[in-house]
Amino acid sequence: MPLQTPAEHELAELLVTSLNLDEVKAADIDPDAALFGADLGLDSIDALELSLAVSQRYGVQLRSDNSDNKKIFSSLRALSAHIQQQRAA
Amino acid sequence: MSQWRGRPEGGGHFALWLIRSISLHAGRRVARLILFPITLYFVLRRGPERRASRAYLTRVFGRRPSFWQLLVHVHYFASTILDRVYLLSGQLQHFDLRVHGLEQLDAQVDRGCGVLLLGVHIGSFEALRVLSQQRPEIRLRVLLDKQQTPAMTELLHALNPEMAASVIHAGQDSTAVVLAMREAAEQGALVGILGDRAREPEATQRVNLFGGDAEFPVAPYQIAAVLKLPLVLAIGLYRGGNRYDLHFEVLHESLRIERRQRDVQLQACAAQFAARLEHYLRIDPYNWFNFYDFWNEKLEAPASDAADTGMQPGERA
Repeated sequence: MPLQTPAEHELAELLVTSLNLDEVKAADIDPDAALFGADLGLDSIDALELSLAVSQRYGVQLRSDNSDNKKIFSSLRALSAHIQQQRAA
Repeated sequence: MSQWRGRPEGGGHFALWLIRSISLHAGRRVARLILFPITLYFVLRRGPERRASRAYLTRVFGRRPSFWQLLVHVHYFASTILDRVYLLSGQLQHFDLRVHGLEQLDAQVDRGCGVLLLGVHIGSFEALRVLSQQRPEIRLRVLLDKQQTPAMTELLHALNPEMAASVIHAGQDSTAVVLAMREAAEQGALVGILGDRAREPEATQRVNLFGGDAEFPVAPYQIAAVLKLPLVLAIGLYRGGNRYDLHFEVLHESLRIERRQRDVQLQACAAQFAARLEHYLRIDPYNWFNFYDFWNEKLEAPASDAADTGMQPGERA
């Protein structure tokens, strides 16, 4: 499994706590694995909950009209990269 | 589960165009006369809808409905489609619109944090337009699938561009849909969704409605819980003639759903919703507008069409 960067690890922790994923360890989330469907099995309701947690923690709004949403929510790595990029902007 | 998606939109482009032209030029009284032949045609020609209507009415009445009752059922449906034209274009003077439970809605709206308004294919959701008079400052944003209901979408654009522009498109990626709902709620809007038809692969719960299990989507309860929105039931019962009774009822003021007990809780939410639908449908049963095999009973076409309409050979409708 590829290593999580510190930013990705922090986001993984947020993901696990905000969604109450008791059975998942943050460190075990493969940063390249799909968040939705097969791998982690999240759904759009989880995405909604995650978007609230991300706004609170990072002050970054995940917007409905962003055409890159599919890519942004595709993996921990993609989501983390998007958040870091938004914070820097 | 999503059989309704396979059926033609009740009252397609032509029917809606016809109704719109007649209703706007000839007035509601004349337009309503035309509903009689349309109703008869629909009952005689649309077998699956007729069987669905009969299956539903049999459940509610406890016996097989007469042909006349099938006609009344479809006539109610046709009437509300016609009235859409007037309601959406703001011609509320045609109607005797009575609002019940507005104070319940008011109390939630006045908190300013958005409200999730749960509608259903019962009566007329468009009767909500009365709110634009009673509470003009409230912004209503309805979830609508443009691809699934092209005729309805077209009608809305023609009659009420402002409302059409505020529609949240249900056809887009589901993550985008829920994020759009969040944004609307954060602006204090009333976010309107329908709670009786699930789209694949949406999660559902099977609960009892009129003595049989049917599947209800659970997303409304999950969204209300995540966004901490009050969930208010909105039903515009058509009562015949020009009368509508619009009912508001708070289902959940603040819903909490624990991941560990999620299924049990969602099941309870869906069961409560179904019980309330029964309550309102008992008041006026002909308001049920899910003209498809809602209970998944595999309604089959009988050998003869005459037998299916419930008419004896030679009998006239």
